[in-house]
Amino acid sequence: MSEHHKETFLTKYIFSLDHKMIAKQFLITGMFMGVVGMTMSILFRLQLSNPGESFAVLEFFLGEKWAPGGVLDPNMYLSLVTMHGTILVFWVLTAGLTGTFANFLIPLQIGARDMASGFMNMLSYWFFFAATLVLMYSLFVESGPAAAGWTIYPPLSALPQAIPGSGLGQDLWLIAITLFVVSSLLGGLNYIVTILNLRTKGMSMSRLPLTIWALLIVAILGVLSFPVLLSCALLLIFDRSFGTSFYLSDIIINGEALHNTGGSPILFEHLFWFLGHPEVYIILLPALGIVSEVISVNSRKPIFGYKAMVGALIVIAFLSFVVWGHHMFITGMDPFLGSVFTFTTLLIAIPSAVKVFNYLATLWRANIRFTPAMLFAIAFVSTFITGGLTGLILGDSALDINIHDTYFVVGHFHIVMGVSAIYGMLAGVYHWFPKMYGRMMNKKLGYFHFWVTFISAYGVFFPMHFLGLAGLPRRYYTNSAFPMFDGLTDINEVITFFAIIGGLVQLLFIFNFFYSIFKGTKASENPWKSNTLEWTTPVERIHGNWPGEIPSVERWPYDYSKPGADEDFIPQNVPLKEGETEH
Amino acid sequence: MQLTLKKNKTSKQLLWIGIVSIVMFFAGLTSAYIVRKAEGGWLEFEMPVWFTISTVAIVASSALLLFAAQNARAGRSATNLLLGTLAIGVFFTYSQVQGWDDLVAQGVYLTGEGSNASGSFIYALTLMHLLHLIGGLIALGITAVKSKQGKYTKDNYLGIQLTSIYWHFLGILWLYLFLFFTYA
Amino acid sequence: MESILVGLIILLSVIVLVQLLRVNELISEVKNEDPNEITEKDNNTQGILTFLIVGVLFLAFVLWQFKYWGIHILPPASSLHGATIDTLMNVTLGLIIFVFFLTQPVLAWFSFKYRGLKNSAAYYYPHNNKLEVIWTVVPTLVLTPLIIYGLNVWNDITNADTTNSKVIELYAKQFNWTARYAGEDNSLGKANYKLVKGLNELGVDMEDENAGDDIITREVHLVIDQPVLLKMRSQDVIHSAFLPHFRVQMNCVPGMTTQFGFTPTQTTAEMKEQEGEDFEFVLLCNKICGAAHYNMKMKFIVESQEEYDTWMASQKTLKNTLTLN
Ligand code: HEM
Ligand SMILES: [Cu+2]
Ligand SMILES: [Cu+2]
Repeated sequence: MSEHHKETFLTKYIFSLDHKMIAKQFLITGMFMGVVGMTMSILFRLQLSNPGESFAVLEFFLGEKWAPGGVLDPNMYLSLVTMHGTILVFWVLTAGLTGTFANFLIPLQIGARDMASGFMNMLSYWFFFAATLVLMYSLFVESGPAAAGWTIYPPLSALPQAIPGSGLGQDLWLIAITLFVVSSLLGGLNYIVTILNLRTKGMSMSRLPLTIWALLIVAILGVLSFPVLLSCALLLIFDRSFGTSFYLSDIIINGEALHNTGGSPILFEHLFWFLGHPEVYIILLPALGIVSEVISVNSRKPIFGYKAMVGALIVIAFLSFVVWGHHMFITGMDPFLGSVFTFTTLLIAIPSAVKVFNYLATLWRANIRFTPAMLFAIAFVSTFITGGLTGLILGDSALDINIHDTYFVVGHFHIVMGVSAIYGMLAGVYHWFPKMYGRMMNKKLGYFHFWVTFISAYGVFFPMHFLGLAGLPRRYYTNSAFPMFDGLTDINEVITFFAIIGGLVQLLFIFNFFYSIFKGTKASENPWKSNTLEWTTPVERIHGNWPGEIPSVERWPYDYSKPGADEDFIPQNVPLKEGETEH
Repeated sequence: MQLTLKKNKTSKQLLWIGIVSIVMFFAGLTSAYIVRKAEGGWLEFEMPVWFTISTVAIVASSALLLFAAQNARAGRSATNLLLGTLAIGVFFTYSQVQGWDDLVAQGVYLTGEGSNASGSFIYALTLMHLLHLIGGLIALGITAVKSKQGKYTKDNYLGIQLTSIYWHFLGILWLYLFLFFTYA
Repeated sequence: MESILVGLIILLSVIVLVQLLRVNELISEVKNEDPNEITEKDNNTQGILTFLIVGVLFLAFVLWQFKYWGIHILPPASSLHGATIDTLMNVTLGLIIFVFFLTQPVLAWFSFKYRGLKNSAAYYYPHNNKLEVIWTVVPTLVLTPLIIYGLNVWNDITNADTTNSKVIELYAKQFNWTARYAGEDNSLGKANYKLVKGLNELGVDMEDENAGDDIITREVHLVIDQPVLLKMRSQDVIHSAFLPHFRVQMNCVPGMTTQFGFTPTQTTAEMKEQEGEDFEFVLLCNKICGAAHYNMKMKFIVESQEEYDTWMASQKTLKNTLTLN
């Protein structure tokens, strides 16, 4: 490892095999896609809350074709919603979040020189990059990008006659997702094998930081569920391109009766949600891991109930494979099956509650240092509670009858998965930025960014529950077709107002990020006085992570404020003192 | 030495976990098959004889590959046996194509008027298996060349081991699919 | 021109921001402190802010919404089973709101109370098995009755006896609804998508003896307190028949028939009195189905038997509309 490779710009920044550089590639691509996805949501929200009105921005971004006279075309509305969901779920919160922190943290926190296979790791990024290009290209095709929702239910997604977005745009969407899955699998394999094999001396599984536990479980979820998405997409590709009838049956479209018979769209939904539900935990678990770490470090206190935290992660992961039917209560599925899925779904509340109480217990009698990361972690607990509680309503099949596919759902999943995971990601960026770039992010901008984000996120997504309880369906281009929704205009305006504010302040974050990369104040080796191994590496980042030998691990990662110690933290590589017991 | 051992172990683990994800892919497809079949309107048909021939071929290729690995372990050259496996693998591909021809002759189509989901499934599943198998053929080719170049030693013939694991897996996967089509 | 202006403004704001940050850093440098170190003052301010914003402002906002936006929530259900859903909803909401107002303030309070001040220290407290068991068991105990209750409601709804229900078909297509009453025999004639042609919009098989008395309509009239069984079909993509006031929703899936049975308990006239003159029961589409998804609607009217009979008498059976032409 000590031999020096000659590094060129190309091998250092582009085709890098170094896990830290690959992590940054994922992060920056993810941030870019985040801006794209967020802009889309602001564009369609603008039209939604002002039906029929003309906006120069719409015309600026979408042109005369998709926003004639500055009024959004309804097909384009659905395309924007679809691409927004796809981008945020897969590109930002799967690849952007896991890709960044798994790559960055796994080798550093377990004490490894790099990933098990640097080459596969690089390949993983480049597949992701190719997927990004294809998806971005689909924004510019003649018939518009995919428009059948991020869940691409056939027949809508299978028939270009049904909606223009289901033409070339949907093909490109499917290609992009296939490349994306390959990328995720390559990454996931690597994460698992690295964690299982390359831990440094003394790093037993029970001494792993919770971030690593979460990332391990996420990788396992991914390896088991993404291939099923691929098989689901494959059959859709066959139906679209070769005229098979896996999902299609008895259809007349544009006055033409199709030959397909015997297929079942419900089959698609089963396959899709078999991935789809674990996917929401693929998004959430890394955030849970990051938040556990950030809360413990900044509370100057061990995370409360480490074993229960790991156990809860495992139980949640396991249950996530047996609850997919809660997305299908009203598809006419066997009511008994519905009962089973209600049962398994509501069970998830138990490990989730344990996690929340453990976070609260960690904060109890803490000595909290309010870094921007810590604020985001606290906010995560808040949104995780709010969103988790509304899940109790949606998971109950009888209640789901009347709120399925309404804005209540949109409010619920944005809070529990969207906002929470974004908070986890932002907490992670603020927390590990000094290790990534050797500099500090500006704290004042950080505080400002946090508070505006916190207020506007709740301002956007909490009111949506009321829209849903008023019966308003999601994916509606306008509410003006039904007099019963006329009273909802003011709620919609509040939502759009906060969406714009919340969106703008993210630009401030991005500014802070790039400013600090180049001009931030220099960071010390361990600015947060943290225990985990990554903080024992030098500020100058080197290939192989540690200049000398890799430190060996002598204790668990959460010895903060341990009685009898000189300082309020004891890094993992410090041996136990005479007579000292491990927690 | 220590380092190679570790590398061998991680490479094998990577492969095994990759295999798990391939298994999930086919599990997804075959459970779709079961669900769809339960809904009725299902065309029953004879499995083509060529698929039985495929089965024999892939078992034979796996046997050859076992001998190849044995040779490598004993420090003898495995090149010829690897090439033999490769040849049978290519024949397997040929037999699959012949099998599809048989199906078409029987009136079982992938698509179009008169096609049925049972037919579409069999084409889709065999095609997907074949795509994975082509990866195996490439791996066999590379291993054979490296073996010819004398890159493998008694103590380290990781390439042959990895190729073997993957190839045997493909054989078992085919057996599973074959039995599945016949009896499910 | 405009975009140049916008570009300029953006550029300017970035420059201003950079300068502000530089000044901030220079000041700290003069005072010989690290501008990005988290000080005790920061902990104090942010702790207080957390309390005020998470613990007070946010919770007040939630209460404010209930007060001012609660009125938009759908009126109580106008169907038999809907009332049981409403009760279950209220129980669940009550529980959720209770837990919400218990945990959020605790979170805010702890963040404030334990903010890192000068001489404060944290208490090393890695775990406590008893506590952890308690907060595993308590949620379980609370959830168990809730799950059982929910499943009971679900079973009653989905296993309701529909033998005496009037059968009505809802046929969805891009982008409208059509209804078909089963007629005197209360049996729908068979249908096949290949038969959809001209006036036979639903592809009804007129050879079928049950078909002749079927009646196709553009709005649905129901008799108060009389059970109906809706049968859904779709012609093209998935739609979803959503009747929010009745707490009814079921997907319409091409290639299969789905169904939902319910009993209306309030007439349109009663609802108009209660909710205002503009009130109508409506059927919406609630599964993304294309450009005009937002505009797929059909009126439902609940009335007395007499009113219904008068209306029905004016409708034509398929025998009359299809075979005579
Ligand atoms: C600025 C922040 C955001 C705003 C204003 C916003 C707004 C919205 C709205 C209004 C919808 C529903 C549109 C409709 O159903 O007609 C939607 C859909 C969606 N959003 Fe967001 N969102 C934001 C951030 C996020 C984040 C962080 C995620 C990450 C999970 C996300 C994921 C989704 C998904 C999956 C959908 C569903 C797309 C579909 O229906 O196919 N959004 N968003
Ligand atoms: Cu789910
Ligand atoms: Cu529709």
